[in-house]
Amino acid sequence: MSVLVANCPSCGAPIEFKSGQSIVVICQYCHSAVARTDRELKDLGKVAELVETGSPLDVGLRGTFKDVPFELTGRAQLGHEMGGQWDEWYATFSNGWLGWLAEAQGRFYITFQYPIPEGTYVPTFEQLQLGQEVYGLPWPTKLMVAETGRATALGAKGEIPYLLTPGETYDYADLSGANGAFGTIDYNQTPPLIFLGQQVTLADLGITTTRTPEKEERRVDAAQLGCPNCGGPLELRAPDKTERVTCPNCNSLLDVNQGKLQFLKALEKPWFQPVIPLGTTGEVPEGKMTVIGAMARSVTIEGTQYFWSEYLLYQPQIGFRWLVNSDDHWNYVRAIPPGDVYEETKTAVYDNKSFRIFQDAQARVEIVLGEFYWKVETGEQVRGVDYVKPPLMLSKEVSTVYVSDPNAKKKKRTTGEINWSLGTYMPVQEIEKRFSVTGLPRPSNVAPNQPYKHWWIYKYWLAFIVLLGLAGVLAFVFAGSTSQAYSQTVNFAPLPNEDGTQVFFSEPFELKGRRNIRVVGQSPVQNTWVYLEGDLINDETGVVQSFPIDISYYQGVEDGESWSEGGQSDSAYTSSLPAGKYVLRLEGQWEKWSQPAVVSVQVEQNVTRGFNFLIALIVLSIGPVLMIIYHIGFERRRWSESMFGGGDDSDDDDDD
Amino acid sequence: MLKALYTIFAVGVVSLYSVAALLGWEIGGGSRRQLPPDARQNGYRSFHFWHYGLHGGK
Repeated sequence: MSVLVANCPSCGAPIEFKSGQSIVVICQYCHSAVARTDRELKDLGKVAELVETGSPLDVGLRGTFKDVPFELTGRAQLGHEMGGQWDEWYATFSNGWLGWLAEAQGRFYITFQYPIPEGTYVPTFEQLQLGQEVYGLPWPTKLMVAETGRATALGAKGEIPYLLTPGETYDYADLSGANGAFGTIDYNQTPPLIFLGQQVTLADLGITTTRTPEKEERRVDAAQLGCPNCGGPLELRAPDKTERVTCPNCNSLLDVNQGKLQFLKALEKPWFQPVIPLGTTGEVPEGKMTVIGAMARSVTIEGTQYFWSEYLLYQPQIGFRWLVNSDDHWNYVRAIPPGDVYEETKTAVYDNKSFRIFQDAQARVEIVLGEFYWKVETGEQVRGVDYVKPPLMLSKEVSTVYVSDPNAKKKKRTTGEINWSLGTYMPVQEIEKRFSVTGLPRPSNVAPNQPYKHWWIYKYWLAFIVLLGLAGVLAFVFAGSTSQAYSQTVNFAPLPNEDGTQVFFSEPFELKGRRNIRVVGQSPVQNTWVYLEGDLINDETGVVQSFPIDISYYQGVEDGESWSEGGQSDSAYTSSLPAGKYVLRLEGQWEKWSQPAVVSVQVEQNVTRGFNFLIALIVLSIGPVLMIIYHIGFERRRWSESMFGGGDDSDDDDDD
Repeated sequence: MLKALYTIFAVGVVSLYSVAALLGWEIGGGSRRQLPPDARQNGYRSFHFWHYGLHGGK
C-alpha cells in the first residue's frame, strides 16, 4: 500500500494515510475510524475521545530503537475489563519495521509481531494458566503468562496498522520473561498473533522531549473535586492515574473516570487510620514521593486473622511504590517484572539471589483510604506468597477474577494476573526520618525479612583471630629458640619421717630477662609420687619465684586392660624474671619416704607455649559466641512466624 | 557502638597477648615475692626461714 490522501467518508474532511502499513486512520475532525481496503475507504464507526492518561508520548514523536529511527504514527486506547485503560502506540520505523509501544502504569514495552514458528502450538486462551510457560516462541528467554484478560478498543488517534473497530473486544495474554522480556498473545484472530519484545525506558528509545507544551498545559499534578455523595472537598493527587478514591468526609468509595467522580458505595467508618497521613511527602530511595492511598489487608491462618497496612506512594517521574507496615515493621516495595523471577517449590530466584518461602495465604482488602490506580474493592482477594532473603522480600500476588460473559458459550470465565514485587526492609527510625513523622510504634518481634544486624561480628572475629595468629607467629619468630639455663640430677636422701622433707639448693646460674621460664622435673616413679616445692631466688634483688612440681605415675592392669595415669615428669611455667643470677631451691616430699629419691631438673627459657594464645582466643571469642546464641534465637523467632517451619537462615548476606 | 566496643576490646586482647609474648609473661604460675632484707643478710637457706619465715609456716 502507498501514501494516500483522501476525504473522510463520514465528514468529508481530508485524511491522510502517511504510512504504507496503516490500515485505519482516525479522522481528526469527526473521530471516525476510516479503513482503507483494496477498493474503497470504509467508515468503521466513531471512536471515543481519548482519556488523558498523562502519557509523555504523542503521535508524531520521533525516536530510535536499535539505531533505527521511528515515528509514533498512531495511538489506540484499550480498556481493561476490570476497569482502567492503557495506551498502545504504533511506531513506524524508517527501515519498514512496525513496532508496538505499550504503556501501562508508567512502564513502556516495545514489541514486534513474530510469525508463529512451524510446529509450535500456541495454547488457546481458555487453556492458558497464569504462571505457565509458553513454549516454542522465537525468543531467547523463557516466557510465562503474567496476565490474561479481555481488551476493548476505546479510542484512537492517528494511523493504526490493523482493523481497529470501535468497541470491539478481544482476549489477550501478556507474557513476561527474564531481563525485561515481554510479549503479548493477541487472540483477536485465529491463529493468534504473537508480539514479542522487551521493557524499555524512554531513554532507550532516544525520546528526550517527552511532552509537548500543549500536553504539559493539560496535565495537572493534583485536582480539587467535590464528592458526588456529600459534596465535601476531595483532592486527587494523581488525577491521570487514579481509578478509585475514597471520600475523606463521608467514607464513600468513588470511581474515577477522566477526572469525574462517581459514587459506588458507602464504606463503613474505617477502624484503620494511617500512621503516615495521606498527602505526606517523603524522601524514599528513588526520590520524593507522596502518600496518596492506604489500605488495611489481612490474611487468616489457622483461624487467626492477621492485619497489616500498605501505603501507596506516587510521583509522576517514578510511578507507584508501596510502604508496607506489618507488626510495626516497614518495607519499601516496588513492582518487578514477573519474568525476572524463577520460582521453584519452596524457593524463588531473582537477580541471582535465592529467596526462601515464608508464607502462602489468601490476602483480603479490609479498608481502603485515598487514591488507587486500580479499581480496588474492600473484600478483594489475592493469593499472596512471600519469599525472604533479608533484608529483601519477594512477594507474588495472584489475582483471579471470574468474569460474567453472557455472550460466550461459557457464561463465566477467569481472568487475572501475576504481580511480583520486591520489598526492602526499612527500620522504623528511617521511616520517621524520611517522612518527618514521629512516635511510630516500635516492633516487638522479628520481621520475615528483618536483617540480622550483627553479621559484622563474624568478620571482625575472623579478622582479630588472624591478627592474633600473626602476633603469635611474630612472637615465635622474634623470640628465638628455647635455651637451657640449668640442669641437674638431684639425689635426695630418705626422709626422716612421713611428714619430713629434703631440701636442695643449686649453685647460682644465669637467667635472662624478658623470657619465660619452664622448670621440668623428672623422676623414675612407678605407682608412687614425688612432690617438689620449688623456688628461684635472686641473691642480689631478693626476688623469689615459687612453683610446684608434682610427679606421679600409676599404672596397672584391670579386667585384662592395662591403664596408666600421670607421668614421670612435670613442668611449671613462670613469667620472665629480671635478668640476673638465681639459685634453685627444691624441697621434696615423696610417698616412699624411707627410700631415697632421684629427680632430674632442668630450667629452660624462651619456651614456646600456646596457653597464652589459647586464652587470648577464648577471650576474643566470648562476644561472638554470645552473638551466635543471640543469632540462633533471632532466626528462630523469625521462622516461628512462618508457615514453612524453622531452621536457621544462615545464607542471608545482609549487613548493617 | 557495639562495633566500637568490640574493636577496642579485641585490640586490647591482641595487644596484651603481643606484650605478654614479647616480655615472656605467663598466665598463672606460682607466686612471686620478695625476700626480707634481714633474711638476705643472715642467710635464707635455713629450714626455719622457709618454714616459718617466707612461706609463713607449713
